[in-house]
Amino acid sequence: MLLLDYGNLLIESLLKDRFAPGATPTSIDQISGEFDNTSFHISTPESKSKILISLAIKCYPELVKYGAEEVLQREYGSLIVQPESGYDFSVGVDLEQLPESEEEKTDLIRRISLMKRNALAAPFEQAFDEFASLQEQARQYTSESAPQGVREGGEVRAIHYREEEAIYIKASHDRVTVIFSTIFREETDRVYGKVFLQEFVDARKRGVQNAPQVLARDDPPLELQGIPGIKAGKGEVTYVTFVLFPRHLTPQRRAEVISHIETFRDYFHYHIKASKAYIHSRMRRRTADFLQVLRRARPEAEEKERKTASGRTFTVKG
Amino acid sequence: MAPQTPAVVMDNGTGYTKLGFAGNDSPSFVFPTAIATKGPAAGAGGSGSGRPAVGQKPSFLTGGAGPGGHLSAKRGTEDLDFFIGDEALGAAAGPGYGLHYPIRHGQIENWDQMERFWSNSIFKYLRVEPEDHYFLLTEPPLNPPENRENTAEIMFESFNCAGLYIAVQAVLALAASWTSSKVQDRSLTGTVIDSGEGVTHVIPVAEGYVIGSSIKSIPIAGRDITYFVQSLLRDRGEPDSSLKTAERIKEEFCYVCPDIVKEFARFDREADDRFKHYEVQQPGGRSVTVDVGYERFLAPEIFFNPEIYSSDFLTPLPTIVDTVIQTSPIDVRRGLYKNIVLSGGSTLYKDFGRRLQRDIRHLVDARIKASEARAGNQAKSGGLDVQVITHRRQRHGPWFGGSLLGQTPEFRSYCHTKAEYDEIGPSIVRRFALLGGPGST
Amino acid sequence: MSQSLRPYLSCVRSTLTAALSLSNFASQASERHNVPEIEAATSPELLLNPLVVSRNQDERVLVEPSVNSVRVSIRIKQADEIEGILVHKFMRFLSQRAEAFFVLRRKAVAGYDISFLITNFHTEEMLKHKLVDFIIQFMEEVDKEISEMKLFLNARARFVAESFLTPFD
Repeated sequence: MLLLDYGNLLIESLLKDRFAPGATPTSIDQISGEFDNTSFHISTPESKSKILISLAIKCYPELVKYGAEEVLQREYGSLIVQPESGYDFSVGVDLEQLPESEEEKTDLIRRISLMKRNALAAPFEQAFDEFASLQEQARQYTSESAPQGVREGGEVRAIHYREEEAIYIKASHDRVTVIFSTIFREETDRVYGKVFLQEFVDARKRGVQNAPQVLARDDPPLELQGIPGIKAGKGEVTYVTFVLFPRHLTPQRRAEVISHIETFRDYFHYHIKASKAYIHSRMRRRTADFLQVLRRARPEAEEKERKTASGRTFTVKG
Repeated sequence: MAPQTPAVVMDNGTGYTKLGFAGNDSPSFVFPTAIATKGPAAGAGGSGSGRPAVGQKPSFLTGGAGPGGHLSAKRGTEDLDFFIGDEALGAAAGPGYGLHYPIRHGQIENWDQMERFWSNSIFKYLRVEPEDHYFLLTEPPLNPPENRENTAEIMFESFNCAGLYIAVQAVLALAASWTSSKVQDRSLTGTVIDSGEGVTHVIPVAEGYVIGSSIKSIPIAGRDITYFVQSLLRDRGEPDSSLKTAERIKEEFCYVCPDIVKEFARFDREADDRFKHYEVQQPGGRSVTVDVGYERFLAPEIFFNPEIYSSDFLTPLPTIVDTVIQTSPIDVRRGLYKNIVLSGGSTLYKDFGRRLQRDIRHLVDARIKASEARAGNQAKSGGLDVQVITHRRQRHGPWFGGSLLGQTPEFRSYCHTKAEYDEIGPSIVRRFALLGGPGST
Repeated sequence: MSQSLRPYLSCVRSTLTAALSLSNFASQASERHNVPEIEAATSPELLLNPLVVSRNQDERVLVEPSVNSVRVSIRIKQADEIEGILVHKFMRFLSQRAEAFFVLRRKAVAGYDISFLITNFHTEEMLKHKLVDFIIQFMEEVDKEISEMKLFLNARARFVAESFLTPFD
């Protein structure tokens, strides 16, 4: 597996089972985790044919501030129900009122499995919109005469989606900057992470010219100055900045770009772990080789003289 | 962290892997413990013409378009190119992939494959960041401590998981039986009969510790029952006797009868009621009807009368259970008889528990009677309570037990954390405090 | 093989061959004990002069001979942070499996990455020159393995980065 999927596999497979023609409705009660301190609760509280899917996400209040409710409203519309207690957002699916065609069903499954992605997409969408309007405004000025607001861009949207890590998004008139702050709990991860980030930074120089520009540093970038909760100076936190250019921000591409960039942190940490696993397997192989060499140092067990019951010995002829 | 992230419970068995979160009543994912890799063995299997196709495959499978594609071959990314579970079975059916089962006889044999299997389980299926979650893993009885250490090495060093607990499957199966209404005290003493796909184990557990010297295994389990059903279908010349059909019939129609002779008679008497039909959808859209007859009760009967199926293993299951308990220390035998817990898919037949209980009770009563007779009927025995526990969570018993224990508030304090591992090293996992044992709620 | 590696390894080889003339020697301190004197260090007359063979400042071998045991410690080249961590990981991995290696010491001598402890029992059971071969081969292969791992890591990082960024293209 190279890239992480955007949707939740459990929701997808559960719903697919239930939506299949001829499936008998059964009661479900499953909690499930997701990346980034997100949890799901899939249950059938009222009757077996009504599935309730609830989402709890750590930074939900922040997301609401950045318009998560509108995005979710747009995506799920009439499916939305009163949030289950302990959860932030719920949708209900009635198996008796499913869309007719296969495609619509598949689409519905896909949409529900993307619930976390959609909730998290709100600040991105807002920033992209802001970029569009700033770009519009900036057209009227030359770079010198632009008023302060247009030149500096909008406010920084901070999403503290994990305990110690956050995403910051800032729109300006010619770009949207997305900054991930990430922390490595372990020295090995930190070193591997550095190697990986260096390649992210360099990737643009080779081959992938149209990709967003990536910057990685140990101290907070300029954009984040004055944001509460950011410690100045070098610390344990690594800041990874993605600069999205107008070509990434077109309305046709934005859904894909948002989905993709949301997975960055988990993709990055997944690959650090996968590399460690691969290095483990190399070490295992090498250890086996060393053992082989050492075993050679042991003289072969000398062949004992074999005798028959009557005391005669075997001899080699020839 | 949100209230508290649920613990991840992973039960990797020889046949199937059960994955899920603590607190749920069933695993989120159940799939074969299989991994399909781009083995050189699989590649070499192709003849001269097959070769180029094998070389081509990684470029589009590794997903990188353009530069990523052709570079993947020389950059050694084949370790990312693999599938697990049902997808592995699918991939192995096509060219280029070889199918492997990293667990044999309950124990992990291939650590490279297992590490990747776990990696995919966590990131693709469960979709969690292992740093945020505690993990509960299972191990078979008599697992060498080195295997535990290797497991810990992978879980902590590769995945940085927050905490780890490794529990013995049989003990978890006992914990799973606590949901049954027949169980009054939540003790961890009992005999576990664990019958899965490949092999059946009878494992005595005393206060949470497995009595290793008394474990017995029986080479009769789910697969044998399927074969037996298949052979019966073939003997009758049914239109479809594939392994899949046999398996479906086994799962849908089989039950345990109290007495074979009477059951045969009853079949003849109530033919309409007892004989069933099973419709098979064959590839190509045709459907044929298969009659289901005596195999309904004969198939599971091989546990109780193995001679009808096998010629080299002839001891019935109740006798084995009795022997296991009799070879255990005398002071726990009473507890072992009183709490015989079933676990695994092949114990799900209707009335399996009832028949087992009756047969064991017969053996025990006969022995008591004999010893009373030897004592000249002077001493009277107070009798011995034999109870076989059937409960609703039998199929994934160990997993459910893990889920039950993993959601308790004190679970985390029983785990070894990453910090402790870093401090002490892999040998830390040689010892775990007994979860759910005496003293805990 | 680079210019300075050959003399380095041949020097280690002859030093080891010389040092590995061990004899059975019962403990002087307690009856019926037989311990590696280099570890026990109970009396100075049983210890021989330790010796360092050094290729450059970060590659060296410490050979500590005694009457019935030799301790060989190796410092492996670590050019940067990545190599440092890889060496550390690999050596830990090996030490974890010391049981299978007979001559591997569970803990390295301070200042070195890995240590071997060869006693007279080992030389009696195993062929001496093959044991020396093992150590030499170990030194060669470890360097190779570490640099291969490093190359792998860089290649993987590049691949991962490009794969992530390509969909934006």
